[in-house]
Formats: sequence, structure tokens, C-alpha cells
Amino acid sequence: MATYVRSNAWNDDGTFDNPDLYWYAKGVAAMMARPLNDRNSWWFFAAIHAEYLPGTPNAQPGFPGWQAIPPVPAVPVAPLPAQSDMDTFWDQCQHQSWYFAPWHRGYLIALEEQIRQAVIALGGPATWALPYWNYLGTGTQYEIPPAFTQATLPDGTPNPLLVTARYGPQNDGDIYIPIPPVSGKCMTNTVYTGSNSATPRPGFGGPKTGFSHAGNVSGNLESNPHNQVHVDVGGNAPDGSIYGLMSDPGIAALDPIFYLHHANIDRMWAQWNANGNVNPATSDWLLGPAGSGGRPFVVPLPGGTPWTYTPQDVDDLGKLDYTYDDLTTAAKAAPSDALAVRLQKLGAPAMTAQTPESAAPGTARDTAAGSELVGTHDGALQIKTSGARAQVRLDAAVGARLTDSLKSASLESPPDRTYLQLENVQGTQDAQKLQVYVNEQLAGTVALFGLRRACMGDQAHGGSGLSFELDITGVIDSLYVENALEAGTLDVKILPANAVSADAPLTVGRVSVYREQHR
Amino acid sequence: MSERERARRRVATGLLLGSGLGWAGLLAAPDHALLLAFCRGDGGAWSWPSLRILLDAAPLAPLAAHWALMLAAMMLPTLVSPLMHVHQRSFRQRRPRAFVLFLTGYIAVWMLAGVLLTLVHLSTNAALSPSASPPLWPALVAAAVALVWQCSPAKQRCLNRSHTHRALAAFGRAADRDALAFGLEHALWCVGSCWALMLVPMLMAHGHLAAMLVVTAVMVAERLDAPAPLRWRLRGLGTAIRLLTARARHARSRLLRLPRHSGAFKTASRA
Repeated sequence: MATYVRSNAWNDDGTFDNPDLYWYAKGVAAMMARPLNDRNSWWFFAAIHAEYLPGTPNAQPGFPGWQAIPPVPAVPVAPLPAQSDMDTFWDQCQHQSWYFAPWHRGYLIALEEQIRQAVIALGGPATWALPYWNYLGTGTQYEIPPAFTQATLPDGTPNPLLVTARYGPQNDGDIYIPIPPVSGKCMTNTVYTGSNSATPRPGFGGPKTGFSHAGNVSGNLESNPHNQVHVDVGGNAPDGSIYGLMSDPGIAALDPIFYLHHANIDRMWAQWNANGNVNPATSDWLLGPAGSGGRPFVVPLPGGTPWTYTPQDVDDLGKLDYTYDDLTTAAKAAPSDALAVRLQKLGAPAMTAQTPESAAPGTARDTAAGSELVGTHDGALQIKTSGARAQVRLDAAVGARLTDSLKSASLESPPDRTYLQLENVQGTQDAQKLQVYVNEQLAGTVALFGLRRACMGDQAHGGSGLSFELDITGVIDSLYVENALEAGTLDVKILPANAVSADAPLTVGRVSVYREQHR
Repeated sequence: MSERERARRRVATGLLLGSGLGWAGLLAAPDHALLLAFCRGDGGAWSWPSLRILLDAAPLAPLAAHWALMLAAMMLPTLVSPLMHVHQRSFRQRRPRAFVLFLTGYIAVWMLAGVLLTLVHLSTNAALSPSASPPLWPALVAAAVALVWQCSPAKQRCLNRSHTHRALAAFGRAADRDALAFGLEHALWCVGSCWALMLVPMLMAHGHLAAMLVVTAVMVAERLDAPAPLRWRLRGLGTAIRLLTARARHARSRLLRLPRHSGAFKTASRA
């Protein structure tokens, strides 16, 4: 048995009767008492994820600049650490990347070590471990554990887990996770990077990238639930003047709920592996970006000692002497035979052979053989509070290839998958979700977590904005069966969850549809 | 290998092939370091022709051909990312056309830039005093200018903009216009980023090709770095060294079948 076991934050009703939460609060308070330039401080750790601190290139004139964050907590903006410390440790978080899961695992481990040292110093348990918030769990677990909303700890001291700028999905301070659209659907994926009939691209863990502080398209675990939960917890202030800390990567790790959310994301990755799914085995992933000359992953351990790690160092919790309380008891996700269901829907001949997903766990592979554009709505689309509408025109020749694929679908000739892309989405409001409909059928919901940073021209993303890809295979199959693809156009409707103000415009550079062939 | 990686490899292979042809062309006609030849007498001594005489004596076609070979050799390896963007965002049947339009816009801007850089080069040489061997100082001055530019926030801005990939229309003339405009726009930022580096090998009297090779490595490496905030710092060279070191390490590991490193956490935190 591992020394450190992460348990459900909703144990003991998610209150301070749960010792994991009580000691977490004590440890957070200890870290918050340290100055910004201390590698062991709460603020330094938040900046490792990302920051908007005055005096750095990421400084913002108003919110979300750290100087404009309303207390509590009272966020310090000085003294800045040495430039070498900032260069080594800060602004590392990996997003829209296949390094998303391993980078955050190492980051959690380091934070946990810091908290544990503080807990031990205060007379707490030596095996304390970070609890996780399983918002996809049964009962009322979709609500934030009550310990995060109380003003004081049982001993009467201020509760460091309470945060002012945390507004929730309705922008009213009620913090919960709406299910759906938040889901654990990614757990049915069978490949980490790539696609097959059980896995839409770019795969469970994300697309292959180099060091990716801000990338382009999120992996399926990152997209939902990760991004969605960030935006739901953060939300917008009732007057719309600011948004919640969790909504933006540059301030998210200041909120103590951040680490419980990421513990749950980490648990889902561990559970996905426990279900028999495998991580990439190539050196590009195992050795991380540093293996090919890129920036290494480095976090400070207690005392400030740097720990440089690679995905290979953290790809199995056993290597780190950690586990979760539910990995052994969680029901193994039975692979739904997605291909069989599709073939039946498309009217393919009855199957007798075994479909790829029925194969033994761990043997699933990326079966994508090629991808091409099917149609677009050319020109930028401005999204207003009332939404936006676009007619996606399908190229006749490519559209015919798509329908041919659906018509001749069989086990030996799998039908194409189809995707809708919102390309070069630009805006400054991360606390926003977009519901996307194709011919009035819900195609999915995307959360704009990271949008502001992706649109900053002289930052890690270069200002191209974010792109979102929705798997619309099921919608297109239905339209094919109904002969609705023959029209040659698709009606795409985009509805924002929150108001879009005139001084914070939201645009989509292009709406497009792609087909992906499979072997 | 994923479908996207395969596409990337095809694009990269095509560009490297084009670059290789450029290098082969330069190697096949080394003294078509015409830019140098026009400024020297047959016996290797420096001549004094005026700029006008130089231009009269130097046929434009070979000058342009030499510049095009330099461009192909040095710049094509830097175009994998924008061409992948064109590849991904175009209909399959339009991809070759979109590539041609992107490259047309890209090359057009660089050819114009070549006129200016060549004029700088020719006028520098025209101003030199006659001597038995060409002086080093023009190349040293160019290297100093390139170093300052390389470290400047302005250079970072150009690099950042080189990473920006606009939305592209897919149908009809709008698609053609966007592919061409993307090539023009990308080239403008590329010229802004590389003009000073390009001048260094042009002004070198000896080791012209070796200097081109080093500059190419720096230009490829600096594009592999993510966009970054604007500030003074040396960029490109460190990445190139790290990349080469990592490659050498991989090669050594494969050769000696060394195990990959692992398990740093326990020793770092719980010793």
C-alpha cells in the first residue's frame, strides 16, 4: 500500500470534520503567510502555474492583474523573486498539450509536499494527502465542499479556503458543477493521443506538442471536465466587473479549490490507466520537452530545492508512493462498443466479428488514416449575447466522400468521424461557455478557459486565440440517416452562457467541419 | 505515428528537399558568391567601381538567382509551421494551389528585401579602400548589429508575430487571397526577424557558406521557441545548442543502449 492516499473531500460531508480538509486549511494558511519571493509560499506556487504580476511581462493594468484582485485572500505583489527564479519556475502550466496531465501531477505533488511539511510542523498527520473534489460523484458532490465557503475554521481563525472572487455558474456565489454539460465521457476514450472509434481526436491526454504554456486544442480530459469546471467555479461577478479566480489560468491557482479540482483530474487519469489504458511510450512524451532541448518542468520542494521531473517520472503514481482511495473499488469503465452502435445506426450489415473496442484493454490504437476539410463558414463571426449563426457550406466532392464512407461503413471499412471546429476564437472573457448546435442538435459545449492569455500577442501563445473542436460524429450520422446532408450546408448556432459586452467582443475566425478517415 | 505527424513529416520533407537544392546550388557555384565576385578584381584585389558601375557590371538575373538560392537554403526549413497551417485549413484538392500562393507572397517580400540587403552589401564594398585582401570589419560590424537586434524586444515581437496564424477562407478567390496574404504577412515578420542575421554571411569575405549554415541553425531554432514577452535577451543560440545536445544525447543513448533516467522525486525530496 502506498504511503500517501488521496481521499474524497466530501468525506464527513465536506466540512472541517474531515481532517484532510482541516489540515489542508492549516497548511494553506501557513503557505499564505510566506512572502511572494519565497519559493515555499502560496503565491510563488500560484505563479508557477501562471501569473499577471506587476513588474513582470504579464502585468495587467487592472483585473486580472494580481494587484486588482479583491481580498480575500489579500494577494501580495511584492517583493518579486530574483529574475532567475522567475525564469526557472514561473509560468509553466501545460495546456492544450499531451503534457497537461503529467505536468500538473508533478505540480500537485510539490504543493502537497509543502502543505504536508506545514501540517507536520503544526502537529498534524505525517501521511496527510491532498483530498480530491469528485464533482462527478453521487449525491450532492457536484456542490463545492462546504469547508470552502465558511468564514472561519473551528478554532475561530479566518478560513484561508474562502475566496471572494469565486462566483459559480450562475454568477451568484452558489458554487456547483452543472452536470451535464460537465461529464466524465472522456473516460471511455482508449487512446492517449490520437483517435479511434471510441476516442475523438486529439485523444484523452491531448495533442502532441512541445513545451506548451498555451496551445491550441485541448485534449478530451482537459476539455471536459477540466476546462468546464474551471469556468463554472470561477464564473463572473454579479455586476460583471470581474470574473472568478478559477476562470483564468493566470490567477486560478490562487484559489485553494484549484488543487482539489486538479487532484480529481489527476485521479481520473490514474483511473483511466487503472482501467487498462496506456500512456504514450515514445521518448518525446516520456522525457518531456527538455528531452528534445525545450524548457524543463521544475518545481520547488520544501526548503526550495528544485525538483526537475519528466512525464516518465510521474506516469505511475506507484513511483511516487501515492494512490487514491477509489482506484481499486471504482467500477472499470466498460468500453462501450461505439463502432458497433454506429454501424447499427448507419444500417450496416449485422456484425459477427469482434470490434476494436472489444479487444483487451491497452491494445487500442490510433486508427486515424487521414483528415480533410469538408466545409466552412468563411469570415469572422461575432458572438453577441443573443448568439451567432453560421451556414457551413460543404464542398460537394468532399461531402460526397464523407457520405460514401457512411454509406459503405462496415467493420472492415470504419465510417469517417466528423468534427466541428471553432477556429481562432478571440476575446478577453475566460468565464464564458459556448453551446454549439448543428441543425438544431446540440453538438457540445466549450469553456473558454485560457482565452485571454491565448489572445495576448506578446505572450506564450502569440495571439492566435484558441481553437475548439467538437466531435459531431453522432450528429452527422443522424443527419445522414435523415438525408439532411444532401442540402450541402449545415446550420451552426452558437449560444453564449453569459452576456457578451461591447467592450469585450468575442469572435470566431472561422467555423469549419472536418472528416477523419479510419483504418 | 499520428495522421497529423505524417502530414507534418511530408511537409517538412518537401521543405528540406527544397532547402537541400538551394544548398546544392550554392555549393555548385561557390564563386557565384557573385556578390563578392562583383567587388573583386580577377587577381583578388579589391576594385573601386561605383555602385552604378557595379550594378551595370552585375547582371540582375544572376544576382537574383543567387539570392533565391540563399532564400531556399536558409528560409525553407523555417516554414513548416505556417505551411502546416495552410495544409490543415485548405481543402485537400486546393492544398498545392494554396502552398504556391503562400510561397509566392512569401518569396515576393523576401526578394524585395533582397534588393535592399544587396544594395547595403554592394555599397559597403564599394566604399572599401583597395587592399590585397578583403577586410573583416564589415562582417564584424554586421555581426554586432545582428547581435544587438537578436537580443532586442523588437526581434521578439517579430518572432511572436511569425507564430500568429490567421484564419483562412476555404472557397474560391477568398481562399486564394488569404493564402497569398498569409504568405506576405508571414514574410514581413520573417524579414523583420532575420534581416540582420542574413547580412552577416553576405558581408563575410571568407566562410560565406559556413556562416550561412550557422545562421540557418539559429533561425530554425528560434522559431521552435514559443512566443514570449518582449524583453532584452539572447535568443536562438541557446535553443540551437540545447537541441543539438539533446540530439547527441539521444544518439549516444541509442548507441550504448543506456536506460532512460527516472525516479528523481524520491531522491530529491525524501533523502
